[in-house]
Amino acid sequence: MDTLLTAEIAANAPRYRRRSSTFIDSIHDVSEDNDMAPAQLYSTMSGRLFHSGRITIVMVGPPARGKTHICVSMARYLQWLGVKTRIFHLGDYRRATIGPDGSLPDDYFFPDASPSSVILRQKILKKCREDIYAWLNHENGQVAIYDAVNPTASGRRSLAKEFAKHDVQTLFIESYVDDERILHDNAINVKISSPDFAGMDPEVAATMYLKRIEMRIPVFETMNEEELNYIKMINAGEKFFYNNVSFGYLSHRIVFYLTNLHIKSRTTFFARAGTTTEEDSYKADADLSEQGRFYAQRMSETLIKHREQERLELIAKGGPDTPQRPLSIWTSTRLRTIQTADYLKEKGYKVRQRSQMSQINPGVCEKMSERVIRQIYPEEVEKHGLDPYHHRYPRAESYHDLAVRLEPIILELEREQSDLLIIAHESVLRVLFAYLMHCSTMDIPNLKFPRDEIIEIIPAAYQNEAKRIRIPGLDPKLLPGSPDDIRIPGSRPLSRPESGQMSPIPGGLGSPAEPLERPSSEKVINTAKDMVADKIHDEI
Amino acid sequence: MPSKTNNGVGVQVEDTKICVVMVGLPARGKSYIAQLAQRYLQWLSIPAATFNVGNYRRHDAPQPTADFFDFSNPEGERKRRAAAEAAVADMLAWFRTGGVVGILDATNSTKERRKWVWDTCTAHGIEVLFVESKCDDEKVIMANIRDVKLTSPDYRGQDPEDAAQDFRNRIKHYEKVYKTIDADHDEDSYTYLKLMNVGKQVIINRIQDYLQSRIVYYLMNLHIRPRSVWLSRHGESLYNLSGRIGGDMLLSPRGEQYAKKLPELVRESVGDDRPLTVWTSTLKRTIATARFLPPHYNQLQWKALDELDSGVCDGLTYQEIKDRYPEDFAARDEDKYNYRYRGGESYRDVVIRLEPIIMELERSEDILIVTHQAVLRCIYAYFMKKDQAKSPWMNVPLHTLIKLTPRAYGTEEVRYEAHIPAVSTWRGKGSTAKHENPTPESL
Repeated sequence: MDTLLTAEIAANAPRYRRRSSTFIDSIHDVSEDNDMAPAQLYSTMSGRLFHSGRITIVMVGPPARGKTHICVSMARYLQWLGVKTRIFHLGDYRRATIGPDGSLPDDYFFPDASPSSVILRQKILKKCREDIYAWLNHENGQVAIYDAVNPTASGRRSLAKEFAKHDVQTLFIESYVDDERILHDNAINVKISSPDFAGMDPEVAATMYLKRIEMRIPVFETMNEEELNYIKMINAGEKFFYNNVSFGYLSHRIVFYLTNLHIKSRTTFFARAGTTTEEDSYKADADLSEQGRFYAQRMSETLIKHREQERLELIAKGGPDTPQRPLSIWTSTRLRTIQTADYLKEKGYKVRQRSQMSQINPGVCEKMSERVIRQIYPEEVEKHGLDPYHHRYPRAESYHDLAVRLEPIILELEREQSDLLIIAHESVLRVLFAYLMHCSTMDIPNLKFPRDEIIEIIPAAYQNEAKRIRIPGLDPKLLPGSPDDIRIPGSRPLSRPESGQMSPIPGGLGSPAEPLERPSSEKVINTAKDMVADKIHDEI
Repeated sequence: MPSKTNNGVGVQVEDTKICVVMVGLPARGKSYIAQLAQRYLQWLSIPAATFNVGNYRRHDAPQPTADFFDFSNPEGERKRRAAAEAAVADMLAWFRTGGVVGILDATNSTKERRKWVWDTCTAHGIEVLFVESKCDDEKVIMANIRDVKLTSPDYRGQDPEDAAQDFRNRIKHYEKVYKTIDADHDEDSYTYLKLMNVGKQVIINRIQDYLQSRIVYYLMNLHIRPRSVWLSRHGESLYNLSGRIGGDMLLSPRGEQYAKKLPELVRESVGDDRPLTVWTSTLKRTIATARFLPPHYNQLQWKALDELDSGVCDGLTYQEIKDRYPEDFAARDEDKYNYRYRGGESYRDVVIRLEPIIMELERSEDILIVTHQAVLRCIYAYFMKKDQAKSPWMNVPLHTLIKLTPRAYGTEEVRYEAHIPAVSTWRGKGSTAKHENPTPESL
């Protein structure tokens, strides 16, 4: 197959980017390795899981129905489970075909379009489909997510037939919205950053934009095809209709995931637990030390202040004067994390303990020095060096084990509607961060969460954004060391020279270089918004 | 529609109360679904109970004929309404004692009845999740009538042919008034799951919190294809011989014998050549036990199947634990299910980590699991509905293969002994003996 085509499309696609920092969500990267599956339960020769063959998930719905959000979230979850998933946005192919200066003919989406428009449409479709087949057949892909409007029943039927000819099953996912409020909010949230609507009242712009969609896509038939496998998600998850002709577990899993997904925007914060009286023992499960309690208070104060500041900034920018969003706190069942949350609990915040969030178990290597480990387990050290993510020392957990046990937490994380502070051990933060920011399994064991920072993750439809919040006034002695930092030899350094451009964060997130150099700006540069604006601009 | 407990603050399982209201004609597998959901939730330590309106009705009308269910029969109508009211009253009382998920098992086939249940529950701060099983596949319905209803107390001692005919007449009476949920588009504000023709079509409406989504997901994974689950402990290990717990030891010579015998034992139990999928833990003793099984059996290792982590007590004998940690020793015997070893796990923790395994098991067909005493107790407790106070004390002998086959009412169990001697690892409350014989009540 023509793999050059993919490269060409990729190069033309404005959103294509090689990840260079773990602080940038890499869900849209075209990954070349198999390192992107933190919670894969098992592996097979073909690389395909859950007794399923090759599947195309075909999205259905006009713009402003949250399709991008659904695609991206679903891809994130499936990849986390180890299902090789890739999104094919038909819009990217339109852009690549038309070129940067071209524009779509007005009747492009019309059922009775002119012959030249039909030819253009078919050309674009063909390219995209060829790439899907190439990826499924020759790159061991399992799930291709085909993101397009797919407005007509006849079109969908022939699509399913066409894929079946190539031995690919299809599952349609329609996002159906008849709630005007949701449509408007969707339109306001992402679409009006387009230059066409600059300076306009958001409500007016949204109405105009929706009107334009209706004009461009005059015929849209909602799904009702009995013979096809489809999930109809109605009004952003209020209701699901699931027509299951021949599908099994994987689609149940997708439905389960989707029932927990919501479109409200909320922030996740990560913080470490304070230091304890028996710092280097895993089994002791010791109480917080004096210092640890001081840390807990400082961290909590910083967070409260930061949230209030952000709220005020939003109001200053013209946002509504709404009360602070509620904040929930999750800890593990280990004493140090429970006690770190005590300060906030006394202030009336809701704290919930989750046994799945206990730190990685160090096994027999607990309290051993690197020299001793090398002496006693030379073979294990070698194996660990080859695959620090999956390898487990005797009686220990690997990061992979940890990710698998965190899966229910991931779903609850998606469901949670309040802002969330997660106080956990660095190992747990690494894995949860990796889910939200789509990090490679090669990077996960090396992600650093210094104790004097709270990490804030802000979601967006297209990709998530991470920020650091400095906790001032901490004793530098607090920063290093915790039992999960036991110097297990063989971990690879994070910096991967092959990953292209330099990280915007000096040294990347993985470098513990002390003293810690921080970027002058707290916010990591992220061009996702411009990219989306660009996508919107030519979609309609 | 935000519920009272979900006003954007985030829901905690402990302050959610859900009434799962079954909906559907007779012989649609409602009781089967209710029973499995209750078992699953209870196993996860979520207090759950089923309130079967039929049982209440039988107080008043032990063996009614189909006429009783004719909706134009005022006497029958009154008694059935009284039964529903009694069941709901008991359920509300049960919620007040800390219940979390109450399952109301009845046909609830009219809009009026559903509105009454919804109003009553909502007035008491209880969320309502309707679960409807809708089926028009004659084969499935007939199989259900044969398997379940003819063993029902309503027809005890009657001629099966007459009973089947009477039961079909009863269904006809229900069909006259039955309305599927939201058929008229005026029940859209309810939270509901509608399963049509055993999951061929599913409607999920207005899920309000994680626990509801979990129940829905679980119910979607249930299937009715026949299958069995085989459970075995690893062969006797070197630590078993010396009465030590935990560790990652290899098998004793007798344990090796069991490993060699296991393929034969499995073949005898399966009865034919169909291959099983084998799940082991990541510890040496289970992998060694499974290593002689036929090469075409697919084998997977799960960290989640590793033995309960005994933390600081790993590798000790019970006597040593009692000497070094006397308080812990006593505390564990006091509440074995909840006791968490220092730096280790409790049975409750093990159940939580086994949850994905149970979900995988429900969706899978024939599986052989080779694992450890505590883990096996937890899995066994799920299938056999053992309660938490007892399951950690259960005797699970070494060198025995257990075959579990889920049936409409409960799970069927067959044990196959390898007849290879092994030490007993069972321990009674307070005991520190290295090996002792199990008492009859631990079986």
